[in-house]
Amino acid sequence: MSYADLNIELAEEQEVLKKEIHKFAVEVLRPAAAELDKKSPTEVIAPESVYWDVMRKMYQLGYHTVHTPDEYGGLGLDPVSQHIFWEELGYGSVGFAVSLGVSLFPSFMASMLADDFIIEEVIKPFADCADATRMGCWAITEPNHGSDTLVSGMDVFRNPEVIQDVKAVKKGDKWILNGQKSAWVSNGPVATQALLFVNIDKTMGMAGGGICICDLTQKGVEKGKPLDKLGQRELPQGEIYFSDAEVPEELMIVDPESYEVMTEIVIAEANMHMGAFFTGLAQSAYDLALAYCVERKQGGRYLVEHQDVKRKLFNMFTKVETARSYSRAVMNFNLNIAPPVAKYSLSSKVYCTQAAFDVCNTAVQLFGGYGLSKEYEIEKLFRDARAGLIEDGSNDVLAISGGNMIVKEIF
Amino acid sequence: MAVFESTEKMFEVLGDLFETLLEHPVAGEKFKKQAVTIRFIMNEPQGEIWLLPEGKVVCGVPEGLKADISMTLSGDTAHNFWLKKITMPVALAKGLIRAKGPLAKVLKLLPILNPAYEAYPAIAKKHGLNI
Repeated sequence: MSYADLNIELAEEQEVLKKEIHKFAVEVLRPAAAELDKKSPTEVIAPESVYWDVMRKMYQLGYHTVHTPDEYGGLGLDPVSQHIFWEELGYGSVGFAVSLGVSLFPSFMASMLADDFIIEEVIKPFADCADATRMGCWAITEPNHGSDTLVSGMDVFRNPEVIQDVKAVKKGDKWILNGQKSAWVSNGPVATQALLFVNIDKTMGMAGGGICICDLTQKGVEKGKPLDKLGQRELPQGEIYFSDAEVPEELMIVDPESYEVMTEIVIAEANMHMGAFFTGLAQSAYDLALAYCVERKQGGRYLVEHQDVKRKLFNMFTKVETARSYSRAVMNFNLNIAPPVAKYSLSSKVYCTQAAFDVCNTAVQLFGGYGLSKEYEIEKLFRDARAGLIEDGSNDVLAISGGNMIVKEIF
Repeated sequence: MAVFESTEKMFEVLGDLFETLLEHPVAGEKFKKQAVTIRFIMNEPQGEIWLLPEGKVVCGVPEGLKADISMTLSGDTAHNFWLKKITMPVALAKGLIRAKGPLAKVLKLLPILNPAYEAYPAIAKKHGLNI
C-alpha cells in the first residue's frame, strides 16, 4: 500500500529511494523479522540465522554507509533522504532499523573527528565492509544506570555519587577499561566495535565521562547471553563486560571537557532517528489495520462501513501523518545545523514512539481477538511499539530532560 | 584581549591560511571537487571570509552569493582551532562554532583541513601572532 507524501518538493531521486527501500522493507525485512520473532535470542544471532542474511544484504547495498561521506565510499544522503531511508526501514522492521542504526554509530560519530588515524582505522574499514563482519553498537546503558545516563544538563548529571560503572584509566598511550554495560545494549551480542561511554573523572559525576571507540573482539571483552524480551526480538541486545580492555588514546574521541555536551549531541542524533523509525512502524500498523477493515465483516457489514471504525482510522491516519511531518522536519533541521538542537530530537522521539504505540494499540482493537493472536502481524508490531516507549531513553525521562532544556533557555 | 587586534589583521592571517590551503595540490583539488561555498561569519573582530568553489578566498562579503555551509565563530576560536588547541567536536559542543548546512558536507570537509593545520603555526608566526 502506498501513501501520498505531503512534501510536494521531493526530488525524483528521493521518490525512487522511497520506493526502493519500501520494497526492501516489505520483501526482505518484514518476513525475516517475523521469522526471528519466533526464535530464541541465541537462535537469532546463530551463524545460520536469517538475521545475518539480512544484515549482509544491507551491507552489500551500502545501507550501513548512509551517514558516511561519499569521500570514503559512503552513500552520504541528504537529511530528507536520510529520513525517508530510516522511515522505510522502520516500516519493514523497527528492530532491524535500530540494529543497522547503532551499527553505524561508532563510524558516524568518528566522522565528526576524522583525523587520518580515525579515517584509516575506523571510517574506511567500516565503509568498505560488505559482509556485516564489522558491526557497531551504542554502549551507554548499565545495570545500575539507564535513562539517567542521558540527562545531560540536569543537576543529577554532575552528582559525584552517580557515575558510570565502566571506568577508563589512562596508562601510557592507552586507556584501560573495566566494568559492565547492561543487557540493553542494542547489537551488544553481535557488535565488533562499540561507541562506548565510560567514566574518566568520578568527581564530576556522569559529566566526567569519556566516549571512545572500543574494539570488542579483543581479549579483555566478553559478552553476556542475548536478552530475551517483549518486542523487537530481531534486534540482538546483551551485556558487555570489560576486564582490562584497551583503547588507543586516539580513539578516546571525547573527554570530560566536552562529555556532557557531546552526550547531548549523541542523544539528539539517536532520538531524531527513533522518530523516523517509529513513523515507519506507525504507517505499517495503520496500513495493516486499513487492509483488514476492508476485508473483515462484522454485523453483516465490512468494518470500514462502521462509523466508529472510520473515526478510529482517521485518528490513526492523523497520528501517522503528524509523526512523519514532525520527525522529518526535525531531522532536516538537526542535520543541517551543528550542534543539533536536542529538545527537538527528544520531542520527535517521544511523540513518534507514542504515536506508533497509539496506532498499534488501536489497530489491535480493530483486529479484535485476532489482534491478540501471533498469527497476525499486528500482534508483533504492538510489542515492537511498546518497547519504543522505553528504549533510547524512557519517554518520561526524556520529556523531563527536554522540559529542562526549554526552561533553561528562559529561566 | 582578542588574538586578532582588528578585522584587517584577521583577514591578513586567515586569508593567508585559506589561500595556502586552497593552493595546496591535493587539498585544493579536493575542495574544488566538493563544489561548495563556505561562509565564515567571524566575531571579535567582526568580518566575513568566504571560500568559493573555484578555490578563491574572499575576505569581506561578496555580492549575490549563497553559502552551502555557514560557520559562525570568534577570531580566538579560529586561532585555537587551527593551532589544534580545540577540536571541532569540542568547539561545536561548547557552542564556540555553530555550523549551518548539511552535516554530511561539513564532515566531508574535515579531512581536507590537514594542510591548514600544518601551515597555520608558521603563518601565525609570520604575521606576528603569539602561538
